[in-house]
Amino acid sequence: MAPLRVGNVKPRRRHASRQAPWRKQLRLTGGVALPLIIFLVISAIYLAVNAKVANAGREVLSLERELAALERENAELVTRLAMETNPDRMMARAMSLGFVPTAPEQVEFLVVDGYSGEPEFVAPLPSTSSQEEDGLLSPAYTETLGDWLTRLLGGVEAAP
Amino acid sequence: MNPERVVRLRIYHLLSLAAAVCVGLMIQLARVQFGPYAPVFEARSHYPLGQVVEVSPARGLIYDRDGVLLAANAPRYYLEIELRQLDGNERVIAGVVSQLLDVPIEDVFGQLTERGKSERMVRIRLTRPDEAAGRWPILVDQTIADVLNGFLADPDAPDLSGMALVPAPMRIYPSGTLAGHVLGFANQEGRGYFGVEGYYDAWLAGRSITYERGVIPPEASLEPNPPAGVNLVLTIDADVQQLVETGIREWIDDTGADSGQIIIMDPRNGEILAMAAWPQLDPNHYGPWLEDEEPEPPPAEAHETESVPVSQQDARVISPAVSAQYEPGSTFKVLVMAAALDAGVVTPDQVFVDTGQIEVGGHVIRNWDGDAWGPQTMVGCLQHSLNVCLAYVSSQELGAGLLYDYLERFGIGRLTGIDLAGEIVGSLRTPNDPTWTESDLGTNAFGQGVSVTPIQLITAVGAVANGGVMVQPHIVRQVVGSQGVYSPGTTVLGRPISAETAATLTQMLAQSLSAETRFGNIAGYAMAGKTGTAQIPSEMGYDPTWTVASFIGWGPVSDPRFIVLVRLDRPETSPWGSVVAAPLFHDVVERLVLILEIPPDALRAQMAAGG
Repeated sequence: MAPLRVGNVKPRRRHASRQAPWRKQLRLTGGVALPLIIFLVISAIYLAVNAKVANAGREVLSLERELAALERENAELVTRLAMETNPDRMMARAMSLGFVPTAPEQVEFLVVDGYSGEPEFVAPLPSTSSQEEDGLLSPAYTETLGDWLTRLLGGVEAAP
Repeated sequence: MNPERVVRLRIYHLLSLAAAVCVGLMIQLARVQFGPYAPVFEARSHYPLGQVVEVSPARGLIYDRDGVLLAANAPRYYLEIELRQLDGNERVIAGVVSQLLDVPIEDVFGQLTERGKSERMVRIRLTRPDEAAGRWPILVDQTIADVLNGFLADPDAPDLSGMALVPAPMRIYPSGTLAGHVLGFANQEGRGYFGVEGYYDAWLAGRSITYERGVIPPEASLEPNPPAGVNLVLTIDADVQQLVETGIREWIDDTGADSGQIIIMDPRNGEILAMAAWPQLDPNHYGPWLEDEEPEPPPAEAHETESVPVSQQDARVISPAVSAQYEPGSTFKVLVMAAALDAGVVTPDQVFVDTGQIEVGGHVIRNWDGDAWGPQTMVGCLQHSLNVCLAYVSSQELGAGLLYDYLERFGIGRLTGIDLAGEIVGSLRTPNDPTWTESDLGTNAFGQGVSVTPIQLITAVGAVANGGVMVQPHIVRQVVGSQGVYSPGTTVLGRPISAETAATLTQMLAQSLSAETRFGNIAGYAMAGKTGTAQIPSEMGYDPTWTVASFIGWGPVSDPRFIVLVRLDRPETSPWGSVVAAPLFHDVVERLVLILEIPPDALRAQMAAGG
């Protein structure tokens, strides 16, 4: 009975195509459109990822410019403060307020138990030296789809 | 129409459209690859996809020992013009720049309209005329930059389209001339010259990093931080520095001297507490100190120098304490007497009969006043600064072998190794030199025919103050880098004399100082010291008119905390060190003991006794 069923099906399909030719066209269109749609989806995803990366890049650039501007402003303020408090200017201001240098005979030395003078000045660490080791973003933010595929196919683990 | 035919037609149209697009793309590709613009695209293909960026760290800061900022960085801005963005507003830009910066308007306008000279010129940096350098880039400070940025952001303000303010970190010395000779300076390119800036240039500058950054699209990566330059803490005390700079300025005015120097050092560890020189150097305006062109950095290694007459030396040496040599005169007698005492050839009470002259190597040596002082102990010889006596000690008692051996032990004729750029070795002729004559044995005894730098002399005499131990002078107390804090320790250069000799000589000098040089005494504090009055060698022999007046002293004698060298060149009011240099020593030390919080001798003795 099985050959009879097969023989019965084939003629029915041909008949259906003859009766509704749009089905064949639909299959043809679907065959062309499906890869196209998949391609478009992947492209869209790729574009979205790249757009995000580009956006992040612009933001990083913007923040770096802001950081540089703030550092310049800080340097300017530090310098102005140092100028305002330099020994010559402080002496002049003290004089203008009526202070005069102490004469040796006016000085009285006192012994204070436990006092060992002012603590030694230690200069601050140089700026920008603390982040030297981790200056770049994690690859999680920068890995492209191509990188991901390469890594996936190559079996390379992503850096943390 | 048959629906099947309609659908097929639609499919054909769609496919035709796709085929047309593909054909178009292929034509465009072929055009790019082989068309007339192919070389342009070929060249472009060799460009990096990113932008090559050089990141330079900020130059390290310099502080005094108490945290007073002596060298800082502040932003300054170059004015640059993007010529393609100019739209007829050249006159407006020229007007604004001229008004704000006092530059001739036609000069600026000329720069803006010169672009016809080169079609490839797209961006220029505005300059101003400069007498010395021809033209110099215009640099504006933050205040002017704020004004210009305000104009650029305001549509109703003068149209400055095309102008860009390019930041350029500049070295600023907030205290102006304070310690200028110690600091040296850094130029507009951030390269350090002379002094601390020159010696520690590589450490202060850090290391630039060059990397490639993607710009299309902008790469999402942080700018790498280049290794920063170190911050330095100097041994200089800004209060003491100001004290000596004020003192030397007033005494230069009072004595009419050409130039002068004061150095204060802690003889126990070689820390330089102050180092002042006149004329003052403002590192913010170092231009006048450079004659023709940017100086080459001084050689790091030692170089022998011939004895250069002081009259030929430029008084405007940038680091005179280490780079200017002079004949020390009678202050050198301290070293000769130290050698004689340590060698055991004389004792403090040994009597020498001064007849007023002595002949050494065919050269007749006389005292400073030409008189014969009769019987004098060695203390008296120092007290009255008798050339004849010291020439006798060096030639008859010590002899050339011992004298030059001791002088070499004291580091005369050698670099001290101080951490300042440009140190020179001075000049000491020994019997091994073909130019040495026996008469040098006599003249060297009172500081003639030998040239030293001020730092050499204070280092050598510092050994007497420090119980016979000579330590290396240094100017940096701390180096603060990303790896941590490094504090250079005390470096012992040698033990030229014994502790007993040092104590004996100190007492002799304290005794002679208290008896003779009344200006050198400080109430409540025992000091030891020696005056010096040196003739100035010239091409025609020694100058008959001018002298170098000096004084070197230390204290308190029981526990020396400082040694001070005072030097005045060509004073007009008096040629003698005892008259013009010793009082300056007095004025400085009188306040120095207060700044350093050193109680008077009696109180210290009482405290030591537990009272």
